[in-house]
Amino acid sequence: MTSSTPTLAMRVLRAPRGRRPRFLYLASVVVLGAVVLAAIFAPFVAPYDPDAVDFTSFLAPPSAAHWLGTDSLGRDLLSRLIYGGRTALIGPLLVVLFSTVLGILLGLWAGWRGGWIDAALSRIFDVLFAFPSLLIAIMAVALFGKGLVAPVIAMSIAYAPFVARLTRSLVMAERSRPYVSAYRVQGFGGGWIASRRVLPNVTPIVGAQSTLNFGYVLAELAGLSFLGLGVQAPTADWGAMINEAQSGVAAGQFLPAIAPAVAVVLVVVCVNIIGEELSDRIGGGNPS
Amino acid sequence: MNALLDIRDLTLDLPNGTRLLHGISLRIASGETVGLVGESGSGKSLTARAVLGLLPDRATVGGAVAVNGRSPLAGATERQEIRRHEAAMVFQDPRAGINPMRTIGDHVTEGLRLCEGWAKDDARTRAVELLSAVRLPAPADHLSQHPHELSGGMLQRVMIAGALSTSPGLLVCDEPTTALDVTTQAEIIQVLRDLCEQSGMGMLFITHDLNLAGSLCDRLVVMKDGAIVEEGAARDVLVAPTAEYTRRLVAATPRISGEISPPTAVSGAEAQLIVTGVGKTYRRRGAEPVSAVIDADLVVPRGGALAVVGESGSGKSTLARMIVGLEEPDAGAITIGGRSMAGIPRSRAERLERAKSVQMVFQDPYLSLDPRIPVGRAIEDVLRLHGGRTGNDAAERVRELITAVGLGEEHLTARPRTLSGGQRQRVAIARALAVEPELLVMDEATSALDVSVQAQVLDLVARIRREQGLTLLFISHDLAVVRRVCAETIVMRRGEIVEAGATERLLSDPQHEYTRLLIDSVPVPIT
Repeated sequence: MTSSTPTLAMRVLRAPRGRRPRFLYLASVVVLGAVVLAAIFAPFVAPYDPDAVDFTSFLAPPSAAHWLGTDSLGRDLLSRLIYGGRTALIGPLLVVLFSTVLGILLGLWAGWRGGWIDAALSRIFDVLFAFPSLLIAIMAVALFGKGLVAPVIAMSIAYAPFVARLTRSLVMAERSRPYVSAYRVQGFGGGWIASRRVLPNVTPIVGAQSTLNFGYVLAELAGLSFLGLGVQAPTADWGAMINEAQSGVAAGQFLPAIAPAVAVVLVVVCVNIIGEELSDRIGGGNPS
Repeated sequence: MNALLDIRDLTLDLPNGTRLLHGISLRIASGETVGLVGESGSGKSLTARAVLGLLPDRATVGGAVAVNGRSPLAGATERQEIRRHEAAMVFQDPRAGINPMRTIGDHVTEGLRLCEGWAKDDARTRAVELLSAVRLPAPADHLSQHPHELSGGMLQRVMIAGALSTSPGLLVCDEPTTALDVTTQAEIIQVLRDLCEQSGMGMLFITHDLNLAGSLCDRLVVMKDGAIVEEGAARDVLVAPTAEYTRRLVAATPRISGEISPPTAVSGAEAQLIVTGVGKTYRRRGAEPVSAVIDADLVVPRGGALAVVGESGSGKSTLARMIVGLEEPDAGAITIGGRSMAGIPRSRAERLERAKSVQMVFQDPYLSLDPRIPVGRAIEDVLRLHGGRTGNDAAERVRELITAVGLGEEHLTARPRTLSGGQRQRVAIARALAVEPELLVMDEATSALDVSVQAQVLDLVARIRREQGLTLLFISHDLAVVRRVCAETIVMRRGEIVEAGATERLLSDPQHEYTRLLIDSVPVPIT
């Protein structure tokens, strides 16, 4: 059988259509970059200490002294928002890192070896899929105590199967490609081919998909803090801030609740736009 | 002359300013068969697609196209009229061109019912007529079958039947037999020839195969880089080409008959490869076991070249994969260079020994190179694995190898993506030679290449064999190519070796009926 080379007509017809405007992507990069930088350099950026209490103003509206006003304890809202970004971003970052590493390793193992290893791992993934990640995180909190560590470990385990399943399918597709057979014929061992050649070929696609998890994890961790199970007071955290602001909402002060909520939404949306753009760029290109 | 198809000064520009077609002019009279030939990238498919208005988005089209007086470029209504009543198209890959979820009956009748408003029963009756016109074995039964139940050749007949359902005056065929076996190709071509004769239909037949075009078409139009370089009666173009490019193309096209400097047979040398009683059966749960290779015996002397010829499913690739150690044989013995090599090598020492004794060049150069690894690095990896050459020594050897296959140092840092098919296949050959194997297996290694590139790669292989005394196992479906390369040939069908012997003897005096069928199926231009 002859196989056809991609003809001119095919190449032209398959050429990407006019790309959607890059504006959203660039705006997302700028916004997310600003949030990340502000969180990293919080001591220099924030106008006040996040825990400092201004006894002259409780639940104050925005003013020249307090740009976003103060919360019910008289703490500067903007400063807490900036410091809160630190815990809000570090959690999802660690979860994405750990779950990606764990998921890629398990997925590579399952996809490359196949057989009973694949069958066993796939069933374990199925079981993990059955539990909502938030539930696993709450169970971890119940077992190991409140804070950031237990939920991060639990969420890493909960998100690893998503990464693993994608990696597994990509590795299985790669494994049947002629270039892998070519490596075998040249005398290279299976372990070397899998780790040194197949893994780097699938990592960009998996990595781009993993960035999309960042947003979900951020929202879920904020939810956990909102429930009082994550980051504990007095540490500033967006989820915890929304929780603390509930009394203010009853008193007619919405800003202390809305500001951290907007921050969560903004970061999640930005991360998703960036993640999708990355997946499009990597996944859309022709592999050969 | 009343032209059925009249293309005048057709140009096509992409928004980035690239001009893909440079003023194509082409006329087809009713009942005439015109072959549009050229290599990949020549713009022949684009020209054919323009007839039905199937053009890339955002492309700027110039010039005029008229199908029976209507222009596909004049707007959606005219275009639809042409597609419904004037012209139809048959695509290269029938499996991709037919909706897999719907029945064959749906495919053939939908044109009649939607475009011509036929009643269901009438359309069915007509569909049975059409399916018998393309000589499908059981037309009435096929109507309720789905595409996956039919072979590629049968599906291509269905596609032709579907194209003919609205009795178009013009049939455009874009490489309709390229994805098919040679015996199937011969049957499809016969069907097309008969249909054109009976109905007086005109045909625009696109192919890269000069022999095929010459055997079917009245006139040939040769394209290169988006322009027509020559046109004329098929016989004239093939026998006395005027354009330089056509001359090269004709010279590069392998033929099954005629003068050729025959490859010299090696006699008296000891055997490099001995295969005895090798068999392989695939067993899958819930399916009949498939015997891919049955009791295969072959011997290749040191420095010799043996061709394995067969169609898809003949087991020739499985045989190759067992010889290089990618598949485990169920039975039999494989001896390479006096050492027994059965099964898939397990330990590092076994793997290296196997790789030293046999290397392989794969069919598709677009898939057999790691897309991420630059050419130089790919070869260096192999050198480092075998014999531990490092640093300058390895770099020197990489340069030697890359020059030996006709590439330059500038290609060392290139990724496969930026190379053409021919260049990639040269890289694959250099990589195989880096191991310094005793035996080289080429599995359809030139069938994805253009004829002129194929000729260059075959010349390269011949030179390397002369210089290094390499033993070659050459797997191919193409008897005309095999004839250029190998003195000895074996023919396989459904896992069995049906005939073996000297290539020229096999071609001039085939003993087995299947060998005769293969030879008769190879298209020969009418001269």
